[in-house]
Amino acid sequence: MSSLQNMRQTGPSWRRTSFAVALLVFCMGTVASMGWLVLREIDDINTANSDNLQWVLAQADVEFLRFKVALLEAQDDREKLDAVRRRFDIFYSRMSTLERGVAFRTLRDNPDFDQPRAEIRDFLDQSVPLIDGDDATLQAALTRLLGTAVTLEDAIRKLSLAGLTSFAEISDERRENLIQTLFLMAAVLMLLLGGLSLLALSFYRLYRVSRRQAEDVARTGSRMRTIVETTVDAILVCDGSGKVIDLNGSAEKMFGYSRAEAIGRSAITMVHPPDVAESLREKQLKYIGEKRRPDPHERRFETEAITRNGRRFAAEISLDRADDTGERVFVVFVRDISRRKAAEDELLDARDKALAGETAKAEFLAVMSHEMRTPLNGLLGTMQLMRDHSLTERQSDLLDQMQNSGHLLLGLVNDVLDLSKYEAGKLVPEQRPFEIPRLLDGICETIGTLASNNGNTLSWTSTGAPSDIVMGDSRRLRQVLLNLVGNAVKFTRGGEITIEAEELPGPGHITEFRVVDTGIGIAPAHLGRIFNDFETLDSSYSRQAGGTGLGLGIARRLTDLMGGEIGVESEEGEGSLFWVRVSLPPADEMPEVQQPFGDMTGDTGPVPSLSVLLVEDNEINRFVAREMLEAEGHKVTEAVNGRAGVEWAEAQAFDLILMDISMPVMDGQAAARAIHMGGGASAKSPIIAVTAHALPEEIARFKEAGMDHTISKPIDRAELMGLVRAVASGDPLVPSGPRGGPRPVLVDKDQLGTMREMLKAEDLDRLASKFLAETDAVVTDLSAASPGDPDLAARAHTSAGSCATFGLTAMHRALGDIEAAAKRENLSEEALKALAPLWKQSRGALQDWLGT
Amino acid sequence: MTRTLPALTLAALLLGTAAFADLPEPTGDVLLTVDGDITETNVGDTAQFDRAMMEAMDPVTITTTTIWTDGEQTFTGVPLSTLMAAVGAGGDVISATAVNDYAVEIPRTDWVDDGPIVAYLNNGEPMSLRDKGPLWMIYPFDSRTEYQSEVIYSRSIWQLDRITVRD
Repeated sequence: MSSLQNMRQTGPSWRRTSFAVALLVFCMGTVASMGWLVLREIDDINTANSDNLQWVLAQADVEFLRFKVALLEAQDDREKLDAVRRRFDIFYSRMSTLERGVAFRTLRDNPDFDQPRAEIRDFLDQSVPLIDGDDATLQAALTRLLGTAVTLEDAIRKLSLAGLTSFAEISDERRENLIQTLFLMAAVLMLLLGGLSLLALSFYRLYRVSRRQAEDVARTGSRMRTIVETTVDAILVCDGSGKVIDLNGSAEKMFGYSRAEAIGRSAITMVHPPDVAESLREKQLKYIGEKRRPDPHERRFETEAITRNGRRFAAEISLDRADDTGERVFVVFVRDISRRKAAEDELLDARDKALAGETAKAEFLAVMSHEMRTPLNGLLGTMQLMRDHSLTERQSDLLDQMQNSGHLLLGLVNDVLDLSKYEAGKLVPEQRPFEIPRLLDGICETIGTLASNNGNTLSWTSTGAPSDIVMGDSRRLRQVLLNLVGNAVKFTRGGEITIEAEELPGPGHITEFRVVDTGIGIAPAHLGRIFNDFETLDSSYSRQAGGTGLGLGIARRLTDLMGGEIGVESEEGEGSLFWVRVSLPPADEMPEVQQPFGDMTGDTGPVPSLSVLLVEDNEINRFVAREMLEAEGHKVTEAVNGRAGVEWAEAQAFDLILMDISMPVMDGQAAARAIHMGGGASAKSPIIAVTAHALPEEIARFKEAGMDHTISKPIDRAELMGLVRAVASGDPLVPSGPRGGPRPVLVDKDQLGTMREMLKAEDLDRLASKFLAETDAVVTDLSAASPGDPDLAARAHTSAGSCATFGLTAMHRALGDIEAAAKRENLSEEALKALAPLWKQSRGALQDWLGT
Repeated sequence: MTRTLPALTLAALLLGTAAFADLPEPTGDVLLTVDGDITETNVGDTAQFDRAMMEAMDPVTITTTTIWTDGEQTFTGVPLSTLMAAVGAGGDVISATAVNDYAVEIPRTDWVDDGPIVAYLNNGEPMSLRDKGPLWMIYPFDSRTEYQSEVIYSRSIWQLDRITVRD
């Protein structure tokens, strides 16, 4: 990072430097050219192509004068004629030099010089023949020559003066040039000096920057050294071929090699066992052989390392190749992860054990609850049989207590079984059509006794379309509502408990069921945890009420299972409101519902004795069923497993076969199939499956195996008798399907029991007689009425209330339906016509009860 | 004339310089008279040279430009060093004088091989007095830049007729 900053700082400095260098180069170039100029100047001065020009010019003057003197002397002395000739020649030569010499070229261009020169030349040319002539000719011409020479003096003077002036100018010009050149030179030198100073400054800055960088690098290096030496990870630095070139203290300690020993060795063979090293070279570290940088995913892996004295340990390797430093080196981090590995293994073990424990616990719970139910069923069945014997009132009371406790226990066991099944994920929601009113009727019927025992009234209302058929899991919904209502009853004394059903507006066909009580309520602090498992609120009632505390937990799970919601609102001392919202989309039609045989209790016709084959491996269950059947005068043959059952069925024709499902040797389904296929004596006999907690798909399988009907364990005596009666009367056994709702009952004996307790016997008889007479009239009336009769709803309503009071549930509901349909003006004649037969049955059942 | 013979013979014997052992007397017009510190003489105390004598002294020809002439010139003459050897010059400097009495001193350091010559031909022609003749001390100006200085130019004496060798 610091190096990046440095880079940023050095940028302008480098620019400055390069600028300075460029300037310097320019200056040097200029200096060189200046130098060249100066050198040339020096050369010019040096070569002095001028001779001593002034001397030459002055000499022309002198030579002319000498010539003139020679002329004068020759006039007097003829002997001096040769001197004249010599002086002439010298002068001539001097002029020739001026005219032809390179040094005088510039002068010749000057008219001030050239004009006198031409004059002199004329003179010379004219004089040559005279001078070169014989002495007499020269002697004769002397005077003339002298005369001309006198006139020429002025020209000679002009010539030398012009030459001097010209040379002075040339000289001045040359000096000027030299001075200029020197000035320029000085300026360039100054510039050069400036450039050099700038360069020096720039170098100084560069020096400072690089010194700072060096310091940074040193600091970073020292920090890195500290990091490298402090870390517990071993750090190895290897060259491109994998040879160690450096390592830290931790590496020396971890592997047991000293620095001197390690350096130069191959890291792979030093750090890893031979077998591991081989595979590393081929796989994880193959990029070393391929001479490339590892890809990101190749830079970290776990392997096995070895120390100098042979200890192997799990190691995590993390490495990369540093390419940007010129030489390519691998930096390798090695971490001893043996402890972490051990911890991971332990954790994994612990988790496996815990999971196994959980599974074992769930299995144990399921098995135990299942196993507990069998003897419990035995107890309950036996207690029911005891009622067939004459008991004292005291004994009867005790038996009641025992039965209550037994049922309570059965409920607990079923709760636990439900829970463990749910936890095991074995529950799947059903989707079958059912009727909400029937469901709610059933709940009221089941809880009714308990409610009245606590002095509560229990009722239900429905807004929306109560008679509409909906799709859903009625069994689970019933279980949830039973639980909620059961709780409400437990925690309410002398109050009201209402079940409300309402289809909520909006999409999804959400129906909300509300269980409202006027009981003790729940403290706000507890509201959050009541749906937890094993939660029993610490109140006298709850203690009193007992229970596993699983009820609401199961209710929550079942609601989840149905994809619904459950919740509670409560005020302490005012009461509670539990609500359940589930999606119940409307169904088109109700499938034909199996008429539960238990409802036939009112049918009091004599039942012919039947021969029944009882296939059941459990001795207690066998005993109970046998007692029940024989009490009704039927003949019972027992078989202890499926195979025995098949053998009996082949040998003998039975009117009815009761078949347990899970049995040793051969199970119920196989046995049923064998009986039907075998073509034995009982091949056509109806077979009824006896099972606990049968799932819908199981019932379907039973049917496929030829078992048309299913009754559940523990065997309900009334249901069994109804079934037997149906077989005896030759009614076809309706194929069993899921129950569309709660089991409808003709007569609610609990309700009647409550009345009997409340009223004196004579009062009851009087009321009953009156009720029977009134209802006879109403039924007759309604049966004949037209569906459009406006009074119909009101009459049905009145009568329905009376029926409810006398526990005639079926009548109550039928009349309620008629009332509702009449109000909606969609009442059918069939509904009215069906009333009479139902009344006949209900009336009979009520009279039976009154007669006891 | 006969009186000088023994002296010349002696000088020739002493110096062992057979080539110049005998300086002949000039027969034509004397072009140059050398006197002063010399060992060889032919006329009195002087050594006098005519054109024929100079032509017999291994003359050389050099080609050069001069500042007094226009264009390249060839000059033929006797190297000064040859001449000085011929007269047995003992001094370190000569004083060269022209017809017009212009005089200049030339130190011994200039009397070297490939140095100045005493030219008697310019472009193959004898030089008249009007053409700076008959003799002209010519340095090979173009061959050495040292010869392109004012001192050398001043030593390039023309219309030369006398040389005095001095200490």
